[in-house]
Amino acid sequence: MSKITLDVKDLSVTLAGKKRLDTISCQVQSEKLTMVMGHNGAGKSLFLKALHGLIPLSSGKIVGPERTDAKLVFQKPILLRRTTEEVFKFIASDCTNTEARDWLSLAGLSDHLQHPARRLSGGQAQKLMLVAMLATQPKLLFLDEPTAHLDYESTAFVENTLKTARADGLTIIMASHNRTQIKRLADHVLFLDDGKLVDDQPAADFFSAPRHEAAQRWLDFA
Amino acid sequence: MEFLSAFTLALNMLISGDAEVREIVLLSLEVSIVATLAALLCGLPLGAFLATSQFWGQRVSITILNTFLSMPPVVIGLLVYLLISRAGPIGFLELLYTPAAMMLAQFILVLPISAALSRQIFETLHQEYNPLFGTLGTSTFQRVSVLIYDSRLSLFTVGLACFGRAISEVGAVIIVGGNIAHLTRVMTTTIALETSRGELSRALALGIVLMGIALLVNILSTILKGYMQRAGMHV
Repeated sequence: MSKITLDVKDLSVTLAGKKRLDTISCQVQSEKLTMVMGHNGAGKSLFLKALHGLIPLSSGKIVGPERTDAKLVFQKPILLRRTTEEVFKFIASDCTNTEARDWLSLAGLSDHLQHPARRLSGGQAQKLMLVAMLATQPKLLFLDEPTAHLDYESTAFVENTLKTARADGLTIIMASHNRTQIKRLADHVLFLDDGKLVDDQPAADFFSAPRHEAAQRWLDFA
Repeated sequence: MEFLSAFTLALNMLISGDAEVREIVLLSLEVSIVATLAALLCGLPLGAFLATSQFWGQRVSITILNTFLSMPPVVIGLLVYLLISRAGPIGFLELLYTPAAMMLAQFILVLPISAALSRQIFETLHQEYNPLFGTLGTSTFQRVSVLIYDSRLSLFTVGLACFGRAISEVGAVIIVGGNIAHLTRVMTTTIALETSRGELSRALALGIVLMGIALLVNILSTILKGYMQRAGMHV
């Protein structure tokens, strides 16, 4: 029996009078990569934020790691007006200088340590955010479409890094639209449709036999 | 012709380094710089706090702060006068008609400017940084520190605005300073006095210095902004 990192019961979120997430219950297995899928506006980003505790729940309960043991990598990197090294050290403040440089070297940013982080390319910026968040040694990592705007090389770096982190025991919950990426990475799939969780099963089963019409439609067109 | 001869006299006064003019200019700078620094020291954390925190009465606080922006300087002068006059709550400090009183008046005058302008700057940056702060669990104190540090160029401009407002103030300063020669006479109060006396040359000389200070401050601001942008500190 797999260990459970996150246990979600009847989670609902209402914003501006509209129920955006509707009575979602699920369990997220430890050391697995769970992919959150769905059409645009299905509530994927909101779901990640709700799980992370960044927005208040209207009802329901989440049992999981402490807030400080979870981190979220955003689709668009949020960079301070500082150098690459300073941004890294703001996020991973417990890292020593040597550790920081090792992480940044892993991301191929050794030549950019003293460059303004905001002048990094989209791919470099996302690599910076990913390694900085990993350097905080979270138990749970959320990623909101982290490769949506990245080229092949940067996407490969993100995917390989996530595979290594998962192998090292990290539990990952990631939102993605990319069918091939989901096939490459996902252990488990949560499919949202209009704020409701309509499919929740291992990735292999999802691709062979989706349980909901919306998921089938997504597979047909993705 | 009268203007031209006054202007020539003013230039002579400046070139020859007139002792009284120099004394007035130095006191003006001292009073305004101290008042501006004190206002920034208090106003920036206040602006950052208002931009980053949510608390009961926040909107009312912001409205009150913005109202203080348009408070007539003479009213501020009057309030400070009542505060520091012999019968006032802090009359025992004997601040009335001293440079310290003028600093206090200018401080109260520019504090709302530093807080209100910086709050707008911080609010914009905080909206951008907030998700990152959220996932990192950044404390309010850390948020305020980061916002102040990362907005430093924009805040320098706020500092210039505060200094400009402080050094150009007449009404409040004349009420609490008394425009006493060799003690509390600053550029603006001297210009007002000398103009009323018909001594246009000294008034003009000080006017030229005031304009020169404004020009110098703007040149410094432009140079600094260019340097920081080239260094990528404000991308």
